[in-house]
Amino acid sequence: MMAPDAARNDASFHGVQRRLAAVLPAERWMESSAALELSALRAQDAPRLIAASLLEGKTMRAHRVPEAPQPRFEAFLDGTQTSRVIAHADGIPIVHGVVAAVIRHRVQRRMRTWGSPRVARALYAPLALLPATWRNALDAMELTIVDTLANRTLDSPHPFALQDAAIHAVQEAREAVERELGERWCGSAAGMRELFVDGAITGSEKVATASCVVGVVKSHRTLYAEGDALRTLVRLNRGERTSVFRVTSPKRTPVASWYLRLRDPGGRDPLWGLVRVEVAEQRGASDKDIAVRANDASGWVLAEALPLAVPDARWDKMAYGVRDCEEFLRSIL
Amino acid sequence: MTGPLLGRVVATERRPNTPHEFHFWTSLDSPIGIGTIVRVDGETPVGGQIVRVYGVVVEGFSYTDLLSPIHDVLGHDGSPSGASLAATERTEIRLYTAHVLRQIPEEPLQPVPMGKVALASDEDVAVALRMDSYLDPASRTAIPVGIYRAGSMESPIYLDADFLLGPEAAHLNISGVSGLATKTSAVEWLLASIFAHFPEQKGSVAAICFNVKGPDLLFLDQPGQLEDSDRAMYEKLGVKPAPFENVRYFAPYTAKGFNLNTLRSNEQLSENVSPLTWGLNEVMQFAEVLLNKDDIDAKADAFIDFLQERVIGREFHEAPLSTPHRVRSFGELETFFRDLLRGMEDRGGESWRTHHIATIRKVRNRLSNISTRCAGLVTDEGTVSDLPFGSFQDRTVYVVDVASLEEDAQDLIFARVVSKLREHLERRDLGVSHVVVFVDELNKYAPGDGPDTYVRKMLLDISERGRYLGLVLFSAQQFRSQVHRRVVGNSGTALYGRMDMDELATPGYSVLSAATKTKLATLERGQLMVRHPHFAQPIFVRFPRPAVLRGRDGAERFPQAGEITLDVAVMRSLRQLDPSISLDWIKRTIAGHEEAQVIRARNMTMQTRPERVQQFFEAQFRRIVPTDTPPRATAVPIRSLPSDDPYGF
Repeated sequence: MMAPDAARNDASFHGVQRRLAAVLPAERWMESSAALELSALRAQDAPRLIAASLLEGKTMRAHRVPEAPQPRFEAFLDGTQTSRVIAHADGIPIVHGVVAAVIRHRVQRRMRTWGSPRVARALYAPLALLPATWRNALDAMELTIVDTLANRTLDSPHPFALQDAAIHAVQEAREAVERELGERWCGSAAGMRELFVDGAITGSEKVATASCVVGVVKSHRTLYAEGDALRTLVRLNRGERTSVFRVTSPKRTPVASWYLRLRDPGGRDPLWGLVRVEVAEQRGASDKDIAVRANDASGWVLAEALPLAVPDARWDKMAYGVRDCEEFLRSIL
Repeated sequence: MTGPLLGRVVATERRPNTPHEFHFWTSLDSPIGIGTIVRVDGETPVGGQIVRVYGVVVEGFSYTDLLSPIHDVLGHDGSPSGASLAATERTEIRLYTAHVLRQIPEEPLQPVPMGKVALASDEDVAVALRMDSYLDPASRTAIPVGIYRAGSMESPIYLDADFLLGPEAAHLNISGVSGLATKTSAVEWLLASIFAHFPEQKGSVAAICFNVKGPDLLFLDQPGQLEDSDRAMYEKLGVKPAPFENVRYFAPYTAKGFNLNTLRSNEQLSENVSPLTWGLNEVMQFAEVLLNKDDIDAKADAFIDFLQERVIGREFHEAPLSTPHRVRSFGELETFFRDLLRGMEDRGGESWRTHHIATIRKVRNRLSNISTRCAGLVTDEGTVSDLPFGSFQDRTVYVVDVASLEEDAQDLIFARVVSKLREHLERRDLGVSHVVVFVDELNKYAPGDGPDTYVRKMLLDISERGRYLGLVLFSAQQFRSQVHRRVVGNSGTALYGRMDMDELATPGYSVLSAATKTKLATLERGQLMVRHPHFAQPIFVRFPRPAVLRGRDGAERFPQAGEITLDVAVMRSLRQLDPSISLDWIKRTIAGHEEAQVIRARNMTMQTRPERVQQFFEAQFRRIVPTDTPPRATAVPIRSLPSDDPYGF
């Protein structure tokens, strides 16, 4: 039996359900359901092409990474999120979200946890739309409650729209813990050493401008190439990269980026084994300096192609160190 | 104090923990291995007490996060040398399965809880193996058997004398492949340990070892070579690293009757070697051992019983015997038979006392044959030189060398010695209260299948009832599966040296894990797996090399004496009684006497052990008077021949 204090502070999915059930005995509670991330986000992100603003040369072309791949990364940063509906209050989803992030430090080819992993659990709900009984019950909980409508407006109160809003809120929370860890690395003595970040690094100015950080993006719902540039991109061979371009976005820090083919795509889809690398933009750097930086970082990323990150389905793009982060986070959540 | 923290207990739905088994993982560089004893400290109190569990590792697993080996091949481009290209080692697990040795508290018996796993310390090992109950100084009955090693820790392992030598349980059986000297060495070491630690209040103890092959046990009183590591073990286990102080050897003569039939025949070592010879009385009691049951039918058996009851050892005279007979030796038995059969033939009788003449002839033939088959052990004239039944000494080893004897003679010796031990122990007049009988090649004497021999019945009897008497069987064999189940089953303690894989595949070893079997098949010399009534699971230990000269080395250092002449043999024997006896005197004394007469005189002297040896020995010979042929008398014709007889000669 769990100690009374532990039960009172239990922030797990079932723990929160039990605590709420004590306050709202008439409500109906969801069984353990699949994580919302598995369905909602993918359906929402529409694929798109964006013309790239080149930093290296005048046209997008393929460059062979000249040096043999050399492992350089000292550590890997990745985060995870899981969102599940614990109940519906008059059709409004109350979402339990867990976010976590970790930096795994490579010591003598074995992975260790750097510092402490970040873990945060919270309930996500559109507080303004909830019945009073629910609001009161949530207020009484010793748990972080996130209002999913605080920074966004919805076209309709459709339950799926509310659910997507919750997922986005959880995603923001996940990015926040990743950002926090990344900034800690950059601000620490270890910050002189290269950090492999899973995903974009543009969310934090400190991270996005740090020379030690390399972000590796695996998803390509948005491709920074059109026309001939797109043809160049999809025809990349193993060990080749595209020209460097700038990635900008409102509220995000601009970074230098390029596509890199990690594995031979023969017989597979054109994006197989393709990642987009992000590094801090070197203001005023020459084409040559930009190319040197891109080649160096590409070599480091290519060196992480082994060992394979199997059995993860994304093993063609995923570094083993990132898979290690995910496995670690899975084991502690 | 508990050893260093090494791992954590882990359980999944597919691989749960039970009250008798649990799983734990460790770091890759932990010193855990098969046979390591670990301690688990639970995290949740049960009945107000934190549960503590002791276990012994029986299985180990190692795997990575790969689902299929093909992924590793792909990851290295099909080239094993590509492994060094990987910047990161795959996550790898060391997962172990342990069998529970003991849980504290013992009730309620629950599945092993999650908790931290540490190497067991000396104190932990004592508790885990329930040795704490007999290590108590007030009632200590601990006999060191070896040292358990894990990491840098070394813990002495003890057997309980009450369960090794009786009365609670008893007997020890040891299995192992031949050629590693593990079985013999282990028994020699354990006997030294018993002699050093058997508590005085429990009585006295001696050992009888049957040397069944080569010179294995023939130099127990000579120091052997020890290494520093052996001496350290002796010191830790509290045993003096020295050969046995009191050893006596017994061996029959060769068929000629004056050389001892043993490899320990070097003159330097003859001081404590005694002949082992028996006469008719000693043998008839165990005639069953030597007589083929298929050959000796009920009628012959009845006649043998009659001889034992009415004839042997007493005055007997009855028609058709021509003279009274007192049969005390095989020679006198033969005279009796000759007289009896001649009388029956003279009378034309077909039977005597309902015994048919054919049966009598058959029994005569079989019994007379015994002294031929067991020549050197059984004497025609009835001389007896036996083990000192009734005056056995505490902490003494008696070695009976039967290595060079025929199988029949070996069986006879074994049957009679054990029977005599039993008789004396029952009467409490053996001289010691406990006797360890060591028998090697047990699968030969007590096989699991085959005919039910006298020796096997005797071994079964010892193993089932010996512990009440203090008669303890230490047995050894290569294949335990081929030994009678009741003999090995009654052995409270079992030791295993390196085992043959085929033997390990037999059903008797099915309780051992695959990893434990693998370890057993690859054990080094000096390592044993021990099962003991107090130990819930088998434990691996190391034991020191025995502090005695190895048989092979002894045979080289003390080479066997060559075939010696009768006079030298007699001199060596008599010098044990009177060192002043010279070879010249022997030669003068036996000159002109037949070999059999000399041997008889020597045997009589050795048996009687007179104060005046020379006079006694001389008195055994009849005076020999030189033959003096009388002159031949001249024949006188009855009457003279006529001078004119033409046919006269």
